[in-house]
Amino acid sequence: MGYAVSEPGTTAVASALAIKILIAGGFGVGKTTLVGTISEIRPLHTEELLSERGVGVDDTSGVEAKTTTTVALDFGRITIREGLWLYLFGTPGQDRFWFMWDELSLGALGAVVLADTRRLQDCFPAVDYFEQRGIPFVVAVNCFDGARRYDPVKVRRALGLTETIPIVLCDVRDRDSVKQVLTTLVTYAVKGIS
Amino acid sequence: MTGEDPGPLIRLYGLTGGRARPQGETFDLVAIVTTVDGPFHTGDLIPEHRAVLSLCRKPTPVADVASHLKLPLNITRVILGDLRREGLVTIERPRPVAQTIDERIYREVLHGLRSL
Repeated sequence: MGYAVSEPGTTAVASALAIKILIAGGFGVGKTTLVGTISEIRPLHTEELLSERGVGVDDTSGVEAKTTTTVALDFGRITIREGLWLYLFGTPGQDRFWFMWDELSLGALGAVVLADTRRLQDCFPAVDYFEQRGIPFVVAVNCFDGARRYDPVKVRRALGLTETIPIVLCDVRDRDSVKQVLTTLVTYAVKGIS
Repeated sequence: MTGEDPGPLIRLYGLTGGRARPQGETFDLVAIVTTVDGPFHTGDLIPEHRAVLSLCRKPTPVADVASHLKLPLNITRVILGDLRREGLVTIERPRPVAQTIDERIYREVLHGLRSL
């Protein structure tokens, strides 16, 4: 395994690189929380109160405590070193914002699909989206308080995932847990391109 | 509504002349923006433009420029498109992931994540 050796005199101009990772999943599954847990900047986002009609449309049963949803962009940053960053972009959680996904996913290293076992079907669209476009993704099952702990094997079967796609149980409020999700994704994605 | 603040969006689109999309070739949310070496007169530039030129003396991703300006990404991108048209900044072209991430970068990222 060879480390790339810089040519003499070229190190100073080594180009800056920002790596993009998407955080996807259904409404209220914890995307914003995940980004906030790991980001060194306060996540930038635009949140709008859902209208009463919107609440009905979004069917918040099981996520009663959440009154707003991310409707625009939501991103955080992790600086690896000067000139090397990871950016986490939360994808809009509602179907009417699908148009933003194509732009977001362009050039992305990969995606984390957050799943809530109480509403596993909510992450089907994200799984389909990344599968169709060949974007590497891992499924992170957010273990909410009070949610039944699911066997990853059952989650894999329910989502129809092939054996190769990693499934990680996580707590999006816990930094170490989020770190584990991201290292799993980075490792999986890099395997695919090397 | 009468007499109330018309809201931040109206002010923001004032910065872009009402445009929601940047001019010229499209660029990614994490494309690297770099200020072109001077000399040029910045006296008649709006403060947001001057702020970008100052920030991007160090190569900076688009998303970070937005974060520094405290402006939405789409507004920031219009501003950056204008600065590029004026020849004041360069914006990196999109590159496929496979061309940007080698073994060394991967190791750095893993190490960086683990030591957070």
